[in-house]
Amino acid sequence: MRSGWGAIAVIGFVVGPAARGAEMPPNVQAVLAKYCAECHGEKPRGGARLDGLAALGPNERLDLLNKVQDQLFFGMMPPPKDDQPTASEAKALADWVRAELRSHKASKLDDRLPYPDAGNYVDHTALFNGTNQEKAFTRGRRWLVSPQIFDERVLDVFQLEGRERDGMRRSGFHGVTNPFVLPDHAGVRYYDLTALDGGHLLVMLTNAEWIATKQLQAARIKAGDPNAGVADPKDKWYPKTTPAPFETIVAKTGPPTDAELADAVQLQFSLVLRRRATDAELVQYLALTRAAIKAAGNAEGLRQMLKSALLESEFVYRLEFGEGKPDEFGRVTLGPREAAYAIAYALGDRGPDAAILKAAADGKLVTKADYEREVRRLLADENWFRGPVDKGLSGMHIASHVVSHPRMVRFFREFFGYPGATKVFKDIPRSGGFYRNPDRGHLGTPGWLIQEADEFVIWQMAKDTAVFENLLTAEDYFVYHNMDTKAGKAQIAQWKDVYETLKKTEWKSKPEEVMEAHQKMLVAAKILDPRTKELWREKRSFLYYMYWFQDTFGQGRTPFTRGPFTHGYTYEHSPSYNLPPTPHRGRYEGVETPRYKEPKVFPAFWDYPVEQPFRVANRKGILTHPAWLVAFSANTASDPIRRGRWIREKLLAGVVPDVPITVDAKVPDDPHRTLRERVNAATRSAACVKCHSRMNDLGYPLEQFDDFGRFRTLEALEHPDNLIKAGNGKDTADVYKTKPLDPTGVLSGTGDAMLDGPVKDSFDLIDRLAKSDRVRQSIIRHAFRFFLGRNERPSDSRSLMDADRAYVTSGGSFKAVVVSLLTSDSFIYRKTVEN
Amino acid sequence: MATRREFMRTAALGAGALTLAPQLSKAAPVGGKPPMRFIFIHKGNGLFPSVMVPPSLSKDEAATEAKKGPLDLDLAKHELPAWMKPLAAHHGDLTILQGVSGKMCTTGHHTWCSSLGVYKANERISSIKWATVDFELAKMFPSPMEHVEFACFPLGGGNARGTLNGIATGFSARGPQQPNYAFGSPKLAAQELFKAVSTDANVRTRSQLDREALEFAARREREKVRSYADSLEAVRERDRKVDAMADSIRRHAPKLDAKYLAEEMTTVDRQRGHVEVLLAALVSGLTNVVAFTVDELGHEYTGLPGMETERVNLHDVGHGKPVGKLTADEVRFAVRRQHMTLLDTIAARLKKAPEGEGSVFDNTMIFYFPDNGETHHSHGAEYPFVLLSGKNAKLNLRGRYIRLPNYGEAGHATLGNLYTTLLNAHGNPIKHFGDPDPGLARFGHDQFGPIRRFLG
Repeated sequence: MRSGWGAIAVIGFVVGPAARGAEMPPNVQAVLAKYCAECHGEKPRGGARLDGLAALGPNERLDLLNKVQDQLFFGMMPPPKDDQPTASEAKALADWVRAELRSHKASKLDDRLPYPDAGNYVDHTALFNGTNQEKAFTRGRRWLVSPQIFDERVLDVFQLEGRERDGMRRSGFHGVTNPFVLPDHAGVRYYDLTALDGGHLLVMLTNAEWIATKQLQAARIKAGDPNAGVADPKDKWYPKTTPAPFETIVAKTGPPTDAELADAVQLQFSLVLRRRATDAELVQYLALTRAAIKAAGNAEGLRQMLKSALLESEFVYRLEFGEGKPDEFGRVTLGPREAAYAIAYALGDRGPDAAILKAAADGKLVTKADYEREVRRLLADENWFRGPVDKGLSGMHIASHVVSHPRMVRFFREFFGYPGATKVFKDIPRSGGFYRNPDRGHLGTPGWLIQEADEFVIWQMAKDTAVFENLLTAEDYFVYHNMDTKAGKAQIAQWKDVYETLKKTEWKSKPEEVMEAHQKMLVAAKILDPRTKELWREKRSFLYYMYWFQDTFGQGRTPFTRGPFTHGYTYEHSPSYNLPPTPHRGRYEGVETPRYKEPKVFPAFWDYPVEQPFRVANRKGILTHPAWLVAFSANTASDPIRRGRWIREKLLAGVVPDVPITVDAKVPDDPHRTLRERVNAATRSAACVKCHSRMNDLGYPLEQFDDFGRFRTLEALEHPDNLIKAGNGKDTADVYKTKPLDPTGVLSGTGDAMLDGPVKDSFDLIDRLAKSDRVRQSIIRHAFRFFLGRNERPSDSRSLMDADRAYVTSGGSFKAVVVSLLTSDSFIYRKTVEN
Repeated sequence: MATRREFMRTAALGAGALTLAPQLSKAAPVGGKPPMRFIFIHKGNGLFPSVMVPPSLSKDEAATEAKKGPLDLDLAKHELPAWMKPLAAHHGDLTILQGVSGKMCTTGHHTWCSSLGVYKANERISSIKWATVDFELAKMFPSPMEHVEFACFPLGGGNARGTLNGIATGFSARGPQQPNYAFGSPKLAAQELFKAVSTDANVRTRSQLDREALEFAARREREKVRSYADSLEAVRERDRKVDAMADSIRRHAPKLDAKYLAEEMTTVDRQRGHVEVLLAALVSGLTNVVAFTVDELGHEYTGLPGMETERVNLHDVGHGKPVGKLTADEVRFAVRRQHMTLLDTIAARLKKAPEGEGSVFDNTMIFYFPDNGETHHSHGAEYPFVLLSGKNAKLNLRGRYIRLPNYGEAGHATLGNLYTTLLNAHGNPIKHFGDPDPGLARFGHDQFGPIRRFLG
């Protein structure tokens, strides 16, 4: 028991030259002896021996201390069933270990703290119980711009506006690669953690090359310069006019004057860096440009200057250091210009508009009231930040929704993580044939699912009431929503009219006669193309529609407001929601030929709801949306562990340690057991359950949804031994023996006593989560990270509580949360702190 | 590995020893000897161990092979599998290496830099634990470009790059959380690598202007963003080295056929174009290490012999789907064979480039392997290799068919062991490169360190 401890405690922990008062104080030794010695002495459990710290070499010692720190921090040691230290005992040990590690600059936990993954390390209760009265601030920082902000800055260099801007934003520039890639996982990702490095440089060089060339192309073409453009003939675009100060120099036959050069430099500074060059900078840039012009002529020399401005690190950074006299707590406020940028970039990607820049220049962006005024104004502005939610979603078939504040929608996308659905390759036959993997030019089924999840989010944000609760529990979804209600109803009415009028005619045997007799009505309904001279050429379109109407109206059902035979139709994913399919285009192949065989079977196609959103059975909020379920699934199975982990980290503000490198994470096959049973068996051992108890029980209820997002009560045991009937490898899935699902789970260790307890099924789980304070506050914490671009610290407690109160008192308005966050001390104040 | 603790400790040492490598990075080649060259060519969709087997095995040998027992045969006495026939001229330099496992890597559809780094990499940059082995080798054999990477980028699938012809994240890594960038088009590669010696005066002037712009930027950034200023300086340093070898570079600059300069080209042409540029880069001395992603699952394959008009989706082929009249296996055969023609071109050309008493090829090792193991949805059980080594190669492998002992047996080797061997043989004394395979721990054999029998 306490065998070797007494002796070691006397020796202490003299470590050698690196020691800086590294003796373990007696109270800390006592904690180790009382709670750890039994298992971590001579026969150390888990290979961690804690009684020989002094004897270890410095690296090994720090390594072990890091392990101790992790175990204590994640609450894994002592094991739950053993005696637990008191709060002060635990603190004494943890504090000593941390101080030791920090004194050697070796604390791995501290290294992780700034990263988005570690945001939850700050104790939740302490953030929201009002005990912390510290004054909040953000560290002064130089922050790399996000990929979206970068795009907007490039658009600004070319001074593009209106439709041209929207178009180029969507398509991207041929010769510009975005140097920035956000880390690719669910959760807030845009922080000030990276600096420009060699990899970025390569991209910045090629970008600067291309942009500078394009800036001058128009003027050079005018001047008859053969080297005006780029080598690639496909790269046709260039701005129609070159700004006057540049054109002057390009057009001139002799060298430009100082004044002309200075004008050009100032213009480029304003376009690229959005400020004037200082006198010192002007001198440097003039020298550079003059030398280049001497070597290579006016145009190439000018291009050199343009390029150099584009290589300035400032082009891709945001600066937030604050200015003015520090207050009594050592904090300064953001400078007015910095504030204009900070507010604008919090709300969107475009940077400040003229009004906020003017307010800043006029000294009207100083007080909290000033900030609130501008934030509210920009939130109400429908146009400045308008853009698609995710241009990456747009492609051949989908156009991402255009909204007034795409960045706000992006918060929820990143928070929920459903855009990750495109990263999971699926096996088509397993789906019964309906699923399409992302492919060149389009994102397939997950693309549609994400688009529809976006619409769900946008809808709830527009209502701006009980936003968090509704996102989690609303049961009305958008599926195949291609027309607003008014247009959709009109379309259906028109089509129905056609069908009712024509159904008793001889449209099958004499289609051309019927078409002729009712041509006006058919043209009005866009079933016949009026431009076609010969009516018989439209026979196929006419018959397509009529057979389709027979399948739908004829069976008392409403068709989808778009025919499956229309060009570019890719709507096949209704089975993801367990909704019946719409007819497949193949059903009408060859209608216009004599060999067409009318189908004799009339499947129950989907009775399409024109008015959306509409109630979908067995669904509740985003966590049962197929996009989310697919995003958190594996290639050929669902993923209760990752789903559970998401809930633990994002909704319960919990912490789950990373997978240790020694774990070979594979779920064993077993023909007789469901995935839940197999996962349970694989993670049940003492070493595994420490972490898995935090995840599995939250993910098991969601086993009610398979890895395509479909609701089920039985699980197909997909093992060769259980094969009942093989599918055709194309559009019928293999049929396996099934086993009933166990949808129960457990909420435990949530920190909210009202929340803990057994869970009946996923709907019960979601309902309870949505009602809990902790969940609401966890979402607020993530909103904090998103809008402030960093993890929260204990000193941000007041700001977080204010934001929480704003949400509650406003009846659940997300806009209120945003206003609160962007007028908080955490946002407004800066302090330059050493790490 | 008796206890888990020893296991962890040694594992930590394994990763820790890697940090010694920078000390060696300044090491110039010993006594004016030419540097070793390394070419890593990897493909997607897996490589079946069964197709690596020479058809001329005896009954006993075939039986051992079937059981995955150890074999070490003289390739001179054996016929090459049909798809390797393009390498006939290099029969004596060839090694077919089987039985290397890599379960510590990410396997499956996309593997990012796993197979070269020997850890589970994924789409997150944070998953990049350390530099891939090709970069470690590049540090030991410094060159102006340090390392050049070429790729036939995927445009689809779960790992798409935005471009076929541009520069985008590649499949090697420079260091922890530092992905490398690769050239997608031969034209861009040639332009970027050889611009200083272009015959076009305009290009040269531009190149000079570029130098001056870099100098200007480096000066301005010195007081601002240190890491950026350092990168700028690094590029300038590289440019200075390139200037110093301008003659050699000029002599060996690639002359690309028009079809390799087009905006649209078939995959096969892209590969051939890349081969031209990589040969020029190696022979001129711009780099000593090249990585080449010859295909990736998300890349649509065009121009394959027998399927010239098809856009082959390798993912579907991996699931057994035929293409036109060809079965999936036949498609795989055609893809591999096409790759062998590339290896033949590289080896033959390097053999024609004189160096010292012989040729550049004498000092070269070419590795051809799957980035994700033994099949389409692999588990990393086997990574078959085709190696071509010159006579000065430090590994004792030429002209052999080698199957290493099976998983769990004594003498079994992982990718980590293979790369450790490579690094040790060339002067990096690292104890073990790469993550351990926890599944091997239970068999009780030491899975760390080099494969001794390969070390000369």
